[in-house]
Amino acid sequence: MSERSLRLPVALPRFERAERGRLVAGIGAGIGEALAVDPTLVRLAFGFLSFASGAGIVAYLGLWALLPAPAAPQPSTTRRIVGAVLLVWAAILALRGLGLSDPFVWMLALVGAGLVIGAGAARFGLSERLAQIAAIILIVSGVFVFVGDNSGDNFLRVLPPGAVAVALLLIVAPWGWRLARERNEERAARIRDEERMEMAARVHDSVLQTLTLIQKDPESARRLARRQERELRAWLYPDAEAAAEGTLAAALESAAAEVEELHGVRVELVRSGDAVLDERLSALALAAREAMANAARHAGVDEVSVFVDAGDAGVSVYVRDRGSGFDPEAVAADRQGLAESIRGRMERVGGTARIVSAPGEGTEVVLEVSA
Amino acid sequence: MTPLRRVVLIDDHDLFRAGVRAGLGPTVEIVGEAGTVADAVPLIKQLDPDVVLLDVHLPDGGGHAVIVEVAPERPGVKFLALSVSDAAEDVIGVIRAGARGYVTKAISGDELTEAVHRVADGDAVFSPRLAGFVLDAFRGEDVSGTGDPELDQLTAREREVLQLIARGYRYKEIASRLYLSPRTVESHVSAVLRKLQLSNRNELTRWAAERRLI
Repeated sequence: MSERSLRLPVALPRFERAERGRLVAGIGAGIGEALAVDPTLVRLAFGFLSFASGAGIVAYLGLWALLPAPAAPQPSTTRRIVGAVLLVWAAILALRGLGLSDPFVWMLALVGAGLVIGAGAARFGLSERLAQIAAIILIVSGVFVFVGDNSGDNFLRVLPPGAVAVALLLIVAPWGWRLARERNEERAARIRDEERMEMAARVHDSVLQTLTLIQKDPESARRLARRQERELRAWLYPDAEAAAEGTLAAALESAAAEVEELHGVRVELVRSGDAVLDERLSALALAAREAMANAARHAGVDEVSVFVDAGDAGVSVYVRDRGSGFDPEAVAADRQGLAESIRGRMERVGGTARIVSAPGEGTEVVLEVSA
Repeated sequence: MTPLRRVVLIDDHDLFRAGVRAGLGPTVEIVGEAGTVADAVPLIKQLDPDVVLLDVHLPDGGGHAVIVEVAPERPGVKFLALSVSDAAEDVIGVIRAGARGYVTKAISGDELTEAVHRVADGDAVFSPRLAGFVLDAFRGEDVSGTGDPELDQLTAREREVLQLIARGYRYKEIASRLYLSPRTVESHVSAVLRKLQLSNRNELTRWAAERRLI
């Protein structure tokens, strides 16, 4: 027994006598509660053990002495010692009742005591070395008692098959339990690890890259930061940001992202409602993209507001900036952007494009398609 | 002469708090700062400020937890939510808890200063994004049929005002566009805020239920 501490595979539940649902002293109900089993089963077990020379009754009395009342501190040392002695006695009675020979029971008792002392040295106030020596002596003497009393051929006779099964179960069960737990922990750790790596990849691709770039090139860093903000948001708040594929909102979102990246402005996209993208709405999205790009190029601002209102009556998109503005009448007829890409596009699908602007007052492009 | 407003700033990021401090104009004084719900509640009760700038996400709970704790004892304190979150339930949740408005953290210092004054005056502050959420939530007929129709629908005028906010117009611009006084625009926005907080529309109660606000 040179192990420093013997760890149980799980934290033990807190055993205490139950107040509610008790029949005698609340031992059955208390154990049932701690182990999450029906108290009737616990009581049956005590009853069954009572046939083994009354082991059940002795165990019950031992637990009565040992277990604290609900929410009370541990009982006095005397009570605990009395309880422990009664429990050991009950265990010996029960094991003999199962048909184990005396030497085998003695061996179990001695080895058990050795294990307990070796594992709980600190709690008994013993020094580590002393506990180890005591444990080794107890275990070795336990084995000697057993081997000395069982010479050769009658070895198997003193171990009825049932007892062998019980002993095997006692040895194998904690081991199997620990193995299962370790496997679960490993799996949880692997999942955590994968999540962390995905997170790390994302942060590396976005935030770290941006931080590096900020130190070299503030202008492109700003664009990059904005794009990555968008991407991270879509990842963190999938419901709020990412519009479903093939919808107007999705088309406008990617248009806004492109304009932001190309022109280094911020496009604030607000939407109310959404609609499935058809030929007309695709044209609307393209016109809106052109309007955003115009605002970014000519208005001299760093933010463009876009509002999409998709309802039963139709779809309206408003692209607004607070920039320099212009006189719509004075724009040369051949200026491709306004004339063809916005107005022409809308008119071909039966929609309208209105441009409200005046020098110094910003510009708003209103694109509409009726339902 | 604009009065000096006493403001408590609740956000768990030091860097962000420093940015807000630097950006606010001379008419706003930061009298206290905290980074958690547990620190914020006693601090606000003790300082009794005009306005609390409140992050929607705090390490030990949402911004709405702060409002729920403080509001019954300090009814005079106004809350303005300040967040990077675009999730509708976050935004609607904190408004339902009693915040007088919601602005995104990308807001400029001047606009934030203006928003603080507006909230301190008892008005509501809507960002374009919040206006979009509200239009969404009040879209169409209310099918629940259990609520108060007064609260569950927006008037045509309120809808118009919200649309202009969503399009990026300021109150003054909205007023001149709709031939209203700025005060009337304010009162429409405040009415919408009230509906947002009290309405039983399905959409809103669903958001509120998700945030365990009711």
